[in-house]
Amino acid sequence: MANPVAAWIGDRLPVSGEGLKELTNEPVPYHLKRWWFALGGTPAYLFIVQIVTGILLAFYYEAAPATAYQSVDYITHEAAFGWYIRSLHKWGATLMIAAVILHQMRVFFTGAYRAPREINWMVGMCLLICTLMTGFTGYSLVFEQLSFWGATVGANIADSTPIVGGFLKRMMLGGDTYNQATLSRFYIIHAAILPVTIMLLVVVHITIIRLQGVTEFKFEDEREGEQKTFNFFPDHLYTELMIGLVLMVLLSALATIFPATMGPAADPLTTPDVIKPEWFFYVAFRWLKLFSGTTAILTMGFIVFVMFAWPFIDEQIRKRTRFQEASVWVGVLGVIAIIGLTVWEAIARH
Amino acid sequence: MKLETKRFIIAGLGGLFLLSLVLVQWMETARRAEEAGLREPHIAVPASSEQCVSCHTEQNPGIVTHWTGSTHAEKGVGCYDCHEAMERDPDGFQHEGYFIATVVTPRDCARCHDAEAEEFAQSHHAAGGNILASLDNFLAETVEGSRIDFSPHSPAPGRNFGLVNGLASANSGCKQCHGAKVALVATDGSVLTVDDFAPDENGFPTNMDAVALIAKDENGKPMMDSDSWPNTGIGRLNLDGSRGSCSACHSRHDFSPRRARQPENCGKCHLGPDHPQKEVYEESKHGIAYRDLKDELDLDAEEWILGETYAAAPTCATCHMSGNIRNGGRITHDPGERISWTNRPPVSLAMDTDINHSIVTETDPETRRSLIHDTWQQKRDRMKNVCTNCHTDSYVNSFYDQYDALVNLYNEKFAKPGQLIMAALADNGLRTSTQFDEEIEWTWFYLWHHEGRRARHGASMMAPDYTHWHGMYEVAERFYMELIPQAREMADHAGGGAGAAVHQVVNDILARPEHIWFEEGAEGAAELIRQQMQDRYGRTGN
Repeated sequence: MANPVAAWIGDRLPVSGEGLKELTNEPVPYHLKRWWFALGGTPAYLFIVQIVTGILLAFYYEAAPATAYQSVDYITHEAAFGWYIRSLHKWGATLMIAAVILHQMRVFFTGAYRAPREINWMVGMCLLICTLMTGFTGYSLVFEQLSFWGATVGANIADSTPIVGGFLKRMMLGGDTYNQATLSRFYIIHAAILPVTIMLLVVVHITIIRLQGVTEFKFEDEREGEQKTFNFFPDHLYTELMIGLVLMVLLSALATIFPATMGPAADPLTTPDVIKPEWFFYVAFRWLKLFSGTTAILTMGFIVFVMFAWPFIDEQIRKRTRFQEASVWVGVLGVIAIIGLTVWEAIARH
Repeated sequence: MKLETKRFIIAGLGGLFLLSLVLVQWMETARRAEEAGLREPHIAVPASSEQCVSCHTEQNPGIVTHWTGSTHAEKGVGCYDCHEAMERDPDGFQHEGYFIATVVTPRDCARCHDAEAEEFAQSHHAAGGNILASLDNFLAETVEGSRIDFSPHSPAPGRNFGLVNGLASANSGCKQCHGAKVALVATDGSVLTVDDFAPDENGFPTNMDAVALIAKDENGKPMMDSDSWPNTGIGRLNLDGSRGSCSACHSRHDFSPRRARQPENCGKCHLGPDHPQKEVYEESKHGIAYRDLKDELDLDAEEWILGETYAAAPTCATCHMSGNIRNGGRITHDPGERISWTNRPPVSLAMDTDINHSIVTETDPETRRSLIHDTWQQKRDRMKNVCTNCHTDSYVNSFYDQYDALVNLYNEKFAKPGQLIMAALADNGLRTSTQFDEEIEWTWFYLWHHEGRRARHGASMMAPDYTHWHGMYEVAERFYMELIPQAREMADHAGGGAGAAVHQVVNDILARPEHIWFEEGAEGAAELIRQQMQDRYGRTGN
C-alpha cells in the first residue's frame, strides 16, 4: 500500500524520484576525491553564513552617521549573542575572501580556465570583485575611525580614475564628500545589491559547471582502468558536509577566541596618524603608495583587465610560442607580488 | 575514503560544532551574569597594556587593583589607551617601548567620551582655573604667601630648605580644586606651560623653541614642575590647551560612576566657610534621606535615572547632572545647565548666559535680550524637571518663591548697599586699590564671600540653619556691627569732603525703611510681634 503522505505530496509536486536522482546524482570526476579539489564550494558555503549572520545584524544596525557606531556597539556589547554573530560575520568575510582567492588560484594553476571554460573564469573574476567590494562596504558600515577614513580614501582613489573618476566618487559617496547619505548608500550596496549580484553570478557559475561538467584531471598515481567517476550523493555531499563542518567549527573558534572589537568612533575632523584598509586591500593600498594616483589606478585597471582576459592571452601564448606553461610562471610571479606587497603594507607604519 | 568513515567524521565534526555552540551559550550566560552583577567580571588585559600591568602590579599594585575594578577594565580599555601620547606631545616620552604621557587630559578622554568632554568644556567647572588671576588667588599668592620665594629667616633643625616657596598655599590649596597650570621644567630653570607651547587646534605645540627647552631626566622623561603636578583640579590648564581634569570627579584609576554620584565626591571642593554646599546638603531633607536610604539608590546601576532606577533620595549629581525620566535620562557634564542664580559674586545674578556660556551682565533690556542664548528660566525649568519627580509643581514653584525672596533680600538689603559703601570709600580715596590691606576689606570679604554665600546656598538647598544662623544672621552682624562702624570711622578719620561724602552714603542707606531701625530704634517692634503671636496661637511666645 502506497504511503498516503508521499502520494499527497507526489500529486502536488510531480517530480519523479528517478528524475531527482539523476539531477542530484551526476557522476563526479574522481579527482574530486582529493579534498583540495573540492574547495570550490567553500566560498558558497561561507556566503550562506554571511547571509544568515548579516540578516541577524541588520535587525539592530542603523545606517546613519549619528547612530551607526552606537548600533554596532550595541550589537557588540548589549544584544544577546550579538558579539558572536558579529564575530562570525567578520571572520566569515575574511575566510570567504581568502577562499575565493584560493579557489581562483587553484583554477589558475591547474589551467581549469582554458577553453571551453573562459566565460566561467570571467564569471569567477566578477565574483572575486563583488566579494572584495562587499568586504569594503561592510568594513565602512562599522563607522569607526579607520573604516570611515578607509572609505574616504577609497572614494578619493576612485576620484583619480581618468574621465569617470568624479562620477565614481559621487556615486560612492552620494555627494562630493562623505555625508549623511553615504552610509545608507554603502548599506544598500553591501546588504542588497552585492549579495543579489553574487547569488545570480553563483547560479550562472554553477549552471555553466553543470552544462560543461567539472574539468577532469588525471594524476600520475592513478592506475589505468580505474573508476573515472563517483556519485554526487551521498559520497561527494559527505565530503562537502565535512568541509562545511570544519569551516563552522573554525569560524566558531575564531569568533570566540578573537571576537570582533570596536575602534574609536569615526571623527571626520581628526585624520588618524595611520590609515589602513582591511588586509585584502593591502596589496592595492601599497600599489597606490608606490605610484601616483592616476598611474596606480590605470595600472591596476590594466592588471584586472589582464586577469579577466587571461584565458585568451594564455591561449595565444600557447599557440604562438613554445612556452606551454607560461601561466604557471606568471601565476607564481603574481602570487609573490601579492604576498610581498601585502606583507610590506602590513609591517609598514606609513 | 569509505562512506562509513565519512559518516563518523561528520558525526564527530557535528558534535564538535555543537560543543562550540554550548561554549558560546556559556560565554553569553557569563556575560549576562557579569552585567547583572551576579559574577565578578572577567578582566582581559589588552595586549598594548600587558607590559604596564605586569610591571605596575609589582611596583604600584594599588593602581592595577583600582583599574581591575573599573568599567574600563571590563570593556577592555587599558593603560595605554588613555596614556598613549602622540609624537609631538611635549610631555610624551618613551617608556618600556611605548610612547606615553603621564597627564591624561580631557582631550585624551574625548577620544571615547567626546560628548561628555564637549559639555564639560562649556561648563563653569572647566573655567575653574580662571581663579589663577582672581581676588581669591591674590589672597593665596600674596596675602597668605609670597609671589617671590624668600630665604628662611632662621634655621629649621633637621631640614635644609633653600627657599620658602611663596606659592605653597596656592599650590596645595586653591589649585587642587580650581586646577593648576600644568608646567614642565625648562633647561634654563624656568617653567613651560600651555602659554609657551601655544598648541594648535589638535593640541600639538606650535612653538618649537619652547619644546626644545624641555628639561628631561636621565630616562628622557620630561620633568614636571612640582608646583603644578600632581593636580586634579577641575579647571586644570593642560599643556595641550584643554581645560580640566576628568579625574577631578571620576577618580583614577577606577573611574567609578558610583563615587561620582555620591555627595562626598563633590565635597572635596564644595565645602568650607565660603561655599559649604556639602554641609548645606547634609543639613537638608535631601541629605538626611540620602544618609538613611543610600543603599536603595542603586549607585552601581549602568544607567542611573531618577524616577526609573531610584527615587529614594537625591544627591548632588541627581539634581545638577544626572538623567531623570522627565528629561529622557539625559545626563549633562555642565552643572550650570540647571542653575538659575549664580551666588558666587557679591551680588547674585540671574543665570542668563550668552552663546559662550558666560553670564550676561548687560542691563539695557533690549541689548540684554539680544545677547541671551540660554535664559535663567530655561535653566530653572531643567531643574524643575528633576524636582517634579518627587514634588508637585505648586510645591516646587513655592520653594523657588522662597529661594528668590531670600536672594533678593540679601542682594537689596546688604550686598548692594555694601558695594555702595566700598565704592564710596574707594572713590573718595579712603582706601587703596590694594585688596586686603585695610580692615574693612576683610570685613566686606567675609560678608559676601563667606556669610553671604552661606545664606544664599542655604536657601538654595533648603538648609535652614545655614540660611539663618550661619548665613543672614552673620551677614547682618557683619554689616551693622563691623562694616558700618568701620566705614564711619574711616570717614571720621579722613574728615573733610571725602569723609562727608562717605557719611552721606552710609546715612542714605541707613535711612532706608529696612535699615531705619538701626539708628532710630525699634521700640515696640518686639511687643508687636508678641501680640501677633498671641493672636495667632492664643498664648505668648518666649
